[in-house]
Amino acid sequence: MLIFLLILPDLLTAQEEIASSIRRYKEREVSTGFYEEYEVRPQRQRPLLGVPGISRGIFPYSPSAARVRNRSRLADSHWGLKFYERRRCEECHIRETKDLHTVRANLTCRQCHGLEPIAGLKHYYSPYNPIRRHAYVCAKCHEGASVSFASYLVHTPNPALLSTQKSFPILFYLFWIMIAVAAGTFALFLPLTVLWGFRELFIKKEKVKEEIEEESEKVIEEPEEVIEEIGEEGEGEGEGKRIKTRKIQKYKRRRSKDEPGRQV
Amino acid sequence: MNPEGRYRIRRFSLTQRIFHLLLILCFLTQGATGLARLYIETNWGRSLAWIFSGYESCRTIHIIVGILMILGLLVHGCYILYKLNWRRFPFSLLNPDSILPHPRDIKQFFQHIGWFLGLAKAPRFERWNYFEKFDYWAVFWGMFILGGTGLLLAFPLTASRLIPGWGLNVAFWAHRIEALLALCHVFIIHFFIGHLRRQNFPMDRSMFEGSVDLTAARHEKSAWVTRLEETDSLEEFLVLEVSSTRQAFFYFLGYIFLAAGVYLLIGGLLNIFKITW
Ligand code: HEC
Ligand code: HEC
Ligand code: HEC
Repeated sequence: MLIFLLILPDLLTAQEEIASSIRRYKEREVSTGFYEEYEVRPQRQRPLLGVPGISRGIFPYSPSAARVRNRSRLADSHWGLKFYERRRCEECHIRETKDLHTVRANLTCRQCHGLEPIAGLKHYYSPYNPIRRHAYVCAKCHEGASVSFASYLVHTPNPALLSTQKSFPILFYLFWIMIAVAAGTFALFLPLTVLWGFRELFIKKEKVKEEIEEESEKVIEEPEEVIEEIGEEGEGEGEGKRIKTRKIQKYKRRRSKDEPGRQV
Repeated sequence: MNPEGRYRIRRFSLTQRIFHLLLILCFLTQGATGLARLYIETNWGRSLAWIFSGYESCRTIHIIVGILMILGLLVHGCYILYKLNWRRFPFSLLNPDSILPHPRDIKQFFQHIGWFLGLAKAPRFERWNYFEKFDYWAVFWGMFILGGTGLLLAFPLTASRLIPGWGLNVAFWAHRIEALLALCHVFIIHFFIGHLRRQNFPMDRSMFEGSVDLTAARHEKSAWVTRLEETDSLEEFLVLEVSSTRQAFFYFLGYIFLAAGVYLLIGGLLNIFKITW
């Protein structure tokens, strides 16, 4: 019984909806979801490049092929990789899954990279050769893509990394300059606002009140009367206006009385 | 209640307040649609996108509102040119009413910090203190960067005729960082100063009502009030409080905007590690 439980797949306590997240969906889905394009078991063709006579026989691929470092010039960049047919792109190419097209626009790798064989980028007949990339890759979706447009880096390197300084210096420097501007702004204004907030907590309330009272006494002698007027004012528009002008005139008079030297 | 407290000084004209209101509306829309796209991998981002009926239409709205904002900036530019005192042109810029940065601002900035730490007396601010000037001009800086890169990204095919295509990678990151900077600045610092500071506590109504409390201004902007009094022009600027219905409406508006901003801020911060940058 116990062994049986081990063999069986995990029990589902609930019907978890794993299609809700782009990434988690892809982790669990065997196919791309584009069922008319095969991905699981591509019918492998013979690689266009190879060492004649060596990798033939029962074991078609050379045992060292998986370790060849520079596959960029091969017509089939995955030539000889063991178990390639059964694996998914994102298992081996993690960095490349983090581009906008994949993460946000929900494209699958094959919508750009096409069917098997996936050519190395530097193979002359590769669709990724800059002389035809715009037409063979981008223009499938971006109608009218130009050579310049295709020089957009789909798999943008992480701009924060030092390696980007070599591969894409402008992005690297711009990123850090912008980060510096942002960090500078916050380094300056965040403490400032916090201090400001704190400082205002400690303005003595009494002192403020006193000052206000002093000032208001100086300016207006009959505060009660004015309060009444304001109380009366209510919502009436014309009324309010009249009172307002009256009061402002009063205010004027007071001030000029206070300081007799002053001209109105 | 002291009666003088009921007097307010006119600070913003109706046009200026309308500009500010439009800016709020556009800014919040851009923030929400932009964050919805940035956070589309998370539930929060998807619920945000749902408001605008999905990922795709977020982009459309973002682009349309973005273009409206650029037009708004142009209109505002015309407004400034129209309002400038051309007769006394270069000198009118040095007018204390001017929002142009002035060497005095740097001094007051340090004095202000001194005051926070109890080392100096509170600076006597003019009509616009250094902080308000920064807030005003930061919008221009943000609009140039966000508007410029935004236009490139909105029309990538056309843009790649003007600049090489890899420029879009650069524009994209510039847009992203600048947008986050602007959002954080507004939702943290600008909101704090306008709402939470003790002087302004529930909310600073001046941007909606157009006027500030005279007593408060005496403390906060003493140089301004003194100057007005000395030139005997204070009376021209005096207004009364608006009716309490209107005030309630302003509070309501202000708090809606505040809530929207804080929602974006908190959602963004909580989900910050759940997205692919
Ligand atoms: C078994 C792991 C594995 C899987 C699965 C895999 N790849 Fe690869 N891929 C590699 C290796 C290893 C290279 C060679 C890397 C190098 O040259 O640096 C490579 C190279 C590439 C290249 C060419 C890189 C260059 O520099 O020219 C492309 C494009 C590519 N893979 C796309 C894909 C796509 C699309 C898929 C999914 C359909 C996929 N790969 C699945 C391992 C894998
Ligand atoms: C929008 C089309 C597009 C999609 C979707 C896409 N790629 Fe690519 N990929 C490219 C292009 C274009 C290049 C050429 C290299 C470059 O300029 O960055 C490339 C290059 C690569 C390379 C070579 C190494 C490198 O980083 O430059 C690998 C590996 C790769 N892609 C794997 C993948 C995988 C895995 C996926 C799916 C998660 C994927 N790609 C999805 C367009 C795409
Ligand atoms: C399978 C269709 C497809 C292919 C092929 C494709 N793209 Fe895209 N691309 C899209 C979609 C869909 C979007 C919209 C993504 C979004 O809304 O976030 C997009 C967005 C973009 C953007 C961003 C535009 C913006 O305003 O943010 C750029 C730049 C871009 N693609 C460049 C390329 C390049 C360069 C290639 C060729 C290497 C390419 N694309 C190939 C579907 C594709």
